[in-house]
Amino acid sequence: MNFKSVRLIDIAPFFILLILGTVIYISQLNYDTWRWNSPGKIQTTYNEYIEPEPLSAQATRYASFGATEFTADLYWLKLIQYYGGGDPSGQYRKLAELFNTVTDLSPKFLPAYQTGLLILPGEGFTDQALALSQKGKKNLPDSWEIPYYTGLVKHIYKKDYVAAAEEFNAASKLPGAPEITKYFAALYYNQADQRQVAYALFQTIYQTSTDTYVKDRAQKYLGHLDGEFALEDAVSTFHQKFGRNPATLAELVDKKILSALPTSPLGFEYKYDAQTGQIDPGK
Amino acid sequence: MTPSYWQKIGVIALNTFRETVRDKLLYSLIAFAGLVIAASLLAGSVSLGQDVRVINDFGLTAMLVFLLIITLFVGTQLVFREIERKTIYLALTKPISRDQFYLGKYLGLCLTILVAAVMMAVLFLGVLYFKTKGVSVSAVWAIGFLVLEAWLLTAVGLLFSSFASPISSAVYTFCLALIGHSSTSIWTIAQKSPVALKGILEFVYYVFPNLEKFNLRNEVVFNFRPDAVQVIAVLGYFLGYTLVVLFLGGLIFRRDEF
Repeated sequence: MNFKSVRLIDIAPFFILLILGTVIYISQLNYDTWRWNSPGKIQTTYNEYIEPEPLSAQATRYASFGATEFTADLYWLKLIQYYGGGDPSGQYRKLAELFNTVTDLSPKFLPAYQTGLLILPGEGFTDQALALSQKGKKNLPDSWEIPYYTGLVKHIYKKDYVAAAEEFNAASKLPGAPEITKYFAALYYNQADQRQVAYALFQTIYQTSTDTYVKDRAQKYLGHLDGEFALEDAVSTFHQKFGRNPATLAELVDKKILSALPTSPLGFEYKYDAQTGQIDPGK
Repeated sequence: MTPSYWQKIGVIALNTFRETVRDKLLYSLIAFAGLVIAASLLAGSVSLGQDVRVINDFGLTAMLVFLLIITLFVGTQLVFREIERKTIYLALTKPISRDQFYLGKYLGLCLTILVAAVMMAVLFLGVLYFKTKGVSVSAVWAIGFLVLEAWLLTAVGLLFSSFASPISSAVYTFCLALIGHSSTSIWTIAQKSPVALKGILEFVYYVFPNLEKFNLRNEVVFNFRPDAVQVIAVLGYFLGYTLVVLFLGGLIFRRDEF
């Protein structure tokens, strides 16, 4: 290469690019240093929680231009992220609305009804869960799962055992219902022990469900009820031994009735009434 | 031996197919459609066990969107490009009528859309097979109806391109596609409207293409297969509407002064 023939004007663009690149790098470094080390003039909050604002089902349907199932899927994914991501206030105010939107857009989306019936009552939206169940029964009249799960909700959250029995009875007549559904209906009608039945119900869901989330949730409820039964048995043993109820649950451990207090896989706190010796499942 | 009427159309069609298939935009669009279909696997993984449903819905919607984009960007420029480059004069000096030229262009683009749809369908059904280890017959039906819808929109795009610029044609075709897919909503609103508005909305419902007839995407997740009556009705609607649109387009093209 003949360097004598190389003119300044030929290599000037290279040097200009090099200088500009250096300026960009230094200014970026300075900006990053300023941003991390000082409060800055512009207040921004990162990871700010934004509650979803779903459109009404009617508006969403019009805006979907025929792609109603696709839009239902988008709202389903949004619902999963909303519930799974956690609401800092713990209220999940939009949960029922999201379930409604998904099921309005996709009326035959059975897992949405199932998941709604499992989740909504636990978050304090029992009436909304029952309304979802009504919609599900209308759109999926042959589904045994919906009245079955509704029976669960009426038993655990409404404490309406006759209504729960009616739901199980209705479920037992639908195609594909497990054999044990008829047994549960009979149990309720005969006013059997409710927590034992709830345990058996969750066991059936755990054994029959093909949905991994529903299975996992049912397993957690089984663990929760195991904890309740263990505490009830421990309180009863304490009473037999000392002639009184324990003052607190911790006394069960102090007096060596239990090696440790059970913790609920659902994250609920077991509450205890020393007067009556009853265990409240909590929330 | 003089080529027959249909042989001449076939030559134009094949030439159009070769021309559009060389368009780099087509391959970019197919590649993007492939990316979206593959990305549906990711969306499915966070859908709480509804991955097959999500793959079906995302994949079929991606196919619809990209076939529509191909129709808008490739189809609406076909005739305009020939006129702009003056190559149309070369074609029309041959013993070929304007109708044959127009129909050949349409059939060539239909072939391009079919090839693009097959490529996307292979990828989509491959992803579905990977998940389910089976072939969804409902999905194949949905893809078939999708192709018919794209062909109908191609005819519409070609009609607009015979008198409007490519951008205007693309916008008009896009708007027609939106109206077509809102036909159910239009009918619902019409039934709840005052008489005058109801008349207008019902006119829109019947005159604009009812693309919801071709929409089997919402039923694929429930393994729905159309019955014979539905298939015949949809085919009849497609043939009737497309022929009318091609006839109108051919009329305008015949009168065009280049």
